[in-house]
Amino acid sequence: MPHIEFRKVAKSFGHNTVIGGFDASVEDGEFLVLLGPSGCGKSTLLRMIAGLTEISGGSLLFDGHVANDWTPHQRGVAFVFQSYALYPHMTVRGNIAFPLVMDRFRKWHHIPVVNAIQRWRAMRDPELAASVERIARQLELEPLLDRRPASLSGGQRQRVALARSLVRNPSLYLLDEPLSNLDAKLRTQMRSEISTLHREVGKTFIYVTHDQVEAMTMATRIIVMNHGEIQQVDTPDGIYDQPANTFVARFVGAPPMNLIPVRLAEGSRLEVGASLAWTHAGPLPAAPAAILGVRPEKLRLFSGTGGMIAAQVIVIERLGAETVVGCRLDDRPAGDHGLNTDDLVFVRIAGHPGLHHGDACSLSYAVEDAAWFDSASGRRLEAGPVRHNPVA
Amino acid sequence: MNRIPLASVARFVVIAILVVFAGFPVYWMASTALNVSSQLYNTGQVPWPQLGNLPGLIHELGQVPLLRWLVNAGVIAAGTSVLSLLLGSVMGYALSRFRFHGRGAIGFLLFMTQVIPEALIVVPLYAMFIVLGLLNSLEGLVLANVGFSMPVTAFILKNAMDAVPHEIEESALIDNCPRIGILTMVILPLIAPSVAAAAVIGFFAGWNEFLFAVTFLGDPKLWPTSVGLASFIGQYEVPLSAVMGSALVFSLPAIVFFLLVQRRIVAGLTAGAVKG
Repeated sequence: MPHIEFRKVAKSFGHNTVIGGFDASVEDGEFLVLLGPSGCGKSTLLRMIAGLTEISGGSLLFDGHVANDWTPHQRGVAFVFQSYALYPHMTVRGNIAFPLVMDRFRKWHHIPVVNAIQRWRAMRDPELAASVERIARQLELEPLLDRRPASLSGGQRQRVALARSLVRNPSLYLLDEPLSNLDAKLRTQMRSEISTLHREVGKTFIYVTHDQVEAMTMATRIIVMNHGEIQQVDTPDGIYDQPANTFVARFVGAPPMNLIPVRLAEGSRLEVGASLAWTHAGPLPAAPAAILGVRPEKLRLFSGTGGMIAAQVIVIERLGAETVVGCRLDDRPAGDHGLNTDDLVFVRIAGHPGLHHGDACSLSYAVEDAAWFDSASGRRLEAGPVRHNPVA
Repeated sequence: MNRIPLASVARFVVIAILVVFAGFPVYWMASTALNVSSQLYNTGQVPWPQLGNLPGLIHELGQVPLLRWLVNAGVIAAGTSVLSLLLGSVMGYALSRFRFHGRGAIGFLLFMTQVIPEALIVVPLYAMFIVLGLLNSLEGLVLANVGFSMPVTAFILKNAMDAVPHEIEESALIDNCPRIGILTMVILPLIAPSVAAAAVIGFFAGWNEFLFAVTFLGDPKLWPTSVGLASFIGQYEVPLSAVMGSALVFSLPAIVFFLLVQRRIVAGLTAGAVKG
């Protein structure tokens, strides 16, 4: 398996820089997910690894060799496209066999008419047929082998695309949002199928998605990207529990992490707006102001005044097994009932809380569940020891 | 009782009129061919075919090398069609898939070839053919025809290729298929209707062509049917029934060819008109 390393890899389209100086390395056998919003450059990066898009600057190394100018085939990669990119005029068997047939072709076999004869001959090769059958069996495609892609469902087409990438036994699998065209149920099924496949083949997978659920459930490591830059590289748990900045904190998690801008006052007091304050009896960052981050499931909701932070119920979303409650902190002047949900603090509760819109409530959290971010840069701050003195 | 909708009747009437308009020349050709020439000049044509004159017509057609003319026309048409497809598909692929300097200019020049009348370039071409030794050869005539039909072929195929998703091509690249293989094994089969349409255009450009053929082919053995038909015109007489008989025979292969690829052509000409 090739060890892949990015050294200041950059991509520009004219004057528009999509990726500027990307540094990372891919470990053997890992399931690396490139996660980020649309337009962040993750698909461009994947295409650069495959050799489908030219690299504008920096070096891409395969096993220590600069591979910037290598052809897609020289890189020995398999690529699964978002749109499946199956050959519509070929049967499923023809699609799966195509890479193997091409490997057997000599240059002159590509002459029109000769190529048809050679393809026909290659397809009759028992060794090739056995390879196709084996992969088809592995992905439960055997009954579909003689059908064309047009007559298959989305999930079946995606499996054919996977089979085509598997059949050559490449060392690196590149998957560009392969599940985004599927419905929710099928996506869940295919997620587990791809994870199982990764365990079975034991090769390196690089998977591009904007869906955090796919990233969290499948990845062994995630690179979160935004505007062509790496925001954080970590395991799924690390990304979720220790977000490197407010972008990662908000991008990963549904509902996302609550971010509350606070002023740090005397006696470990946290102040929000003009009228709201509570005591945070835990470590605090050494700054006069910061952003407090708490995951929705780490917040506790009280129907009265039992919590630390006074609030009001604005939104109740019942999801069956759990309920997401959106609260507005009581930091506003009386009569201000703005409905901008970006300002809400979301709490995730098991079952039904028995609350109603407009009810007064209060929130509380364990100090060890608090994350701190710089007010200006959004970067994560390390909290210092518990302070009882005024912040300088 | 089921009532026939007025719209259906109107549609039937319109189609019937169109069929009559399209089919009447062929009928008239057949009818004229089965009239005796002297009768045509003296008493005028009988509107319906005189089947009794069929043996006479066959005898009359036997006097001219109609089969040789047809074979020559077939060679020219097939050559024009195949060569136009070969060159047009490569050019269409380049125009569709690659960004290069002068791409727009090439497109414009291709368009210009359709604006220039054949008669305008027949003299310079004749001079070139003398130098290249291509006069009196079917190959030379094919080349001249390709000059006019290939740009049309290239445009048709380019437009069809534009509609083929790039991912399919990139997928083939990943699968170790070179560009020529992508074109012949992936792209062209996907745009088969447009290929058929382009083939028909090339075929008819060669089959019907007259001006280049009559200018460049002095040897009667090399004449295609279009030139052969014109040779019937004598100083004092035109054997109309023989001309029409030959024209009918000349039309039949073209009609058969068109019917064979008709369904694909219709799909090709409407390809990309709706979201598929």
